[in-house]
Amino acid sequence: MTEPIIEVQNLKKVFGDHEVLTDINLTVNAGEIVSIIGRSGSGKSTLLRNINLLEQPTSGDILFHGNSVLAPDFDITHYRAKAGMVFQSFNLFNNLTVLENVVTPQVTVLKRDPAEAKQHALELLNTVNMDPFINAKPDQLSGGQKQRVAIARAEAMDPEVLLFDEPTSALDPEMVDDVLAAMSNLAHTGLTMIIVTHEMAFARDISDRVVFMNDGVIAEEGTPEQIFNAPHEEVTQAFLKRYLNRA
Amino acid sequence: MTHKYWLFMIALLMTLGLAVAPGATTHAADNSTTLKVGMEANNAPFNWTQTSKANGAVKIDGASGYANGYDVQMAKQIAKQIGKRLVVVKMSWNGLQPALTSGKIDAIIAGMSPTPERRKAIDFTSTYYKTKLTIIVRKNSQYAKATSLKDFKGAKITAQLNTYEYDAIDQIQGVEKQSAMDDFSAMRVALTSGVIDGYIGEIPEGITAATDNKALSYINFSQQNGFKVSADESDLAIGVRKGSTLTGGINQELAKISQAKRNRLMKWAVAHLPATSSEDGNWFTTLLKQYGGMLLQGAGMTLLISLVGTVVGFLIGLLAGIIRTIPRPSTAGKRGLRALANWLIAIYIEVFRGTPMIVQAAVVYYGAAQAFGLNMNRTLAALIIVSINTGAYISEIIRGGITAVDAGQFEAAHALGFTHLQTMLKVVLPQAIRNSLPAVTNEFIVNIKDTSVLSVISVSELFFSAETVAGQNFQFFHTYLVVSGMYLIMTFAISRLFRLVEKHMAGPISYNLAENH
Repeated sequence: MTEPIIEVQNLKKVFGDHEVLTDINLTVNAGEIVSIIGRSGSGKSTLLRNINLLEQPTSGDILFHGNSVLAPDFDITHYRAKAGMVFQSFNLFNNLTVLENVVTPQVTVLKRDPAEAKQHALELLNTVNMDPFINAKPDQLSGGQKQRVAIARAEAMDPEVLLFDEPTSALDPEMVDDVLAAMSNLAHTGLTMIIVTHEMAFARDISDRVVFMNDGVIAEEGTPEQIFNAPHEEVTQAFLKRYLNRA
Repeated sequence: MTHKYWLFMIALLMTLGLAVAPGATTHAADNSTTLKVGMEANNAPFNWTQTSKANGAVKIDGASGYANGYDVQMAKQIAKQIGKRLVVVKMSWNGLQPALTSGKIDAIIAGMSPTPERRKAIDFTSTYYKTKLTIIVRKNSQYAKATSLKDFKGAKITAQLNTYEYDAIDQIQGVEKQSAMDDFSAMRVALTSGVIDGYIGEIPEGITAATDNKALSYINFSQQNGFKVSADESDLAIGVRKGSTLTGGINQELAKISQAKRNRLMKWAVAHLPATSSEDGNWFTTLLKQYGGMLLQGAGMTLLISLVGTVVGFLIGLLAGIIRTIPRPSTAGKRGLRALANWLIAIYIEVFRGTPMIVQAAVVYYGAAQAFGLNMNRTLAALIIVSINTGAYISEIIRGGITAVDAGQFEAAHALGFTHLQTMLKVVLPQAIRNSLPAVTNEFIVNIKDTSVLSVISVSELFFSAETVAGQNFQFFHTYLVVSGMYLIMTFAISRLFRLVEKHMAGPISYNLAENH
């Protein structure tokens, strides 16, 4: 599979006087798993939020299947349904139960039949082992449980691309594994995944390609072996050294 | 807030003011088949409210109870002669003139004298009753034997606000002039309790007070020892709009009614005053038996207005919340529209939060009629005013509720492809409403109490009914005690009810694990 699904071209994002993304060029192919690593504040999350249009790019372009998502006639609602997002802080809908969290978006956005949507939701909640909790409200769940529901919610939209914004950073260590397992189950099923993460071991195991970001630019990218075993750039080496020492 | 914004607001308010200012009077009503007559229905023996249609009483328009008295019988005769159907509209004394000039009523028959000040605003027919001033006193006081105004030196005397009786107090040398009071019922209570030594009224009021209350009597001054009043003041006439076509017809009919007939009618009126509460039996049961229906109807009206007002205000608040959170659109045209909508909402909130509801009621009801000839039903006007007023407050409450919802909730919904409206309806507002519910309950309770200001436009809510009852039975303390109990029951029931709703919205504390498949 070499057909590009998302192409980021000369993307620049400025908040006030602060340039967060300088000039980003990134092509992600359909079915590919790309991990984005780098220091906090290097622009990883901002890149992801621009791809999903939660932030409006200052300049540059983003293509989805070759079409600019910034074009005036582009169907953003449809695009967002096809490019799901999993957040660091889960963002489950607090007013809805676990089941409703997974059913409502399907019915609202995709206009799916409620019975069909429920069936789909139950299957997905089953794969993340959250089916016993379908009647619970988000407040009553642990962080790991919430994140697994959030993954099921994003999956339920049958997306082509899933964006993960530091999905395990807000979790206690013992809960991380369940969430990573849920993500591993999704990998190599044809779904395209872009993952912003600090879990280096996970990134190495799951990714087809790893992107290292530094100060608003992509400093280096390559296969996991290249980046983790033989990084070319000094900044990459310095960053990874700190992580490996810590481990 | 920018300077421009405030300049705009002030300009808008001034434009509104100018639009309402010209006192264009409406004449349309004069040609209708009904004769709408305004009176207090609380000024016996001229006019009073009773609970049945006995003795030829007339149903009061849009309220419970029947009006009767000298004025009502006079109005009946005149209406019949000029071929119109009589409609009696009950309103406060100070509401009579604006109601007439704004076309809410066609004539004032309320024991009103044609003073020069009043003649500037409205026209009067010829006299329909000629009266003389008296002072009503306690029978056991030193003033009971007075024969001349000189005997009232040092006495505490009052009269009704905005009447020539009140101005006449100045003719008594060395009198202790007290602040004016609202109506005769209040003055009678003040007199019996010893707060004042006497009050000035016309002879019919003297007859009525003395008949009603054995402890009171009135002084029949001779021509030279009594008050000097001009014919403008002692002669009671019927108020009509300036240049009204009714004047000629009414004057013709009045000419046919002789002085002897008028005196007989006044005697009849005094004799047929509704019986004041009998002393036997428990005051509480007597009050309920006699006026319970009227008070319950008033409570029903209060509940209706505050319920509709709160519900509609709540919907306005939700709508404002949806509009104010619309994300910044990409095209300039839509951005302009959004800015305009936000501006209008801000102005609406500032104006209706920044002016008293009693003033809004007067502007909407009397002002709209006077300036634009817009004749609104009183209950409808009340519903509109309370809804719009409450909407301004609830908009801000909901805004606070939305602010308290985590930004991640918006982001997650947008990231899933929800439109703004879907985001608000399915995710944000349910949470915002839960956050705002205690404050909305507060608004409802405030509305229950604040609808009492609507008595200014004569809406027969609970407070207006209470005034009527107290004006009939003179049991101020007992009546208002019962009425405060009724208010308390309503507000307490509402606060409990909403507590239940809050609990329900919070959902169960624990959840059941679903069975494993």
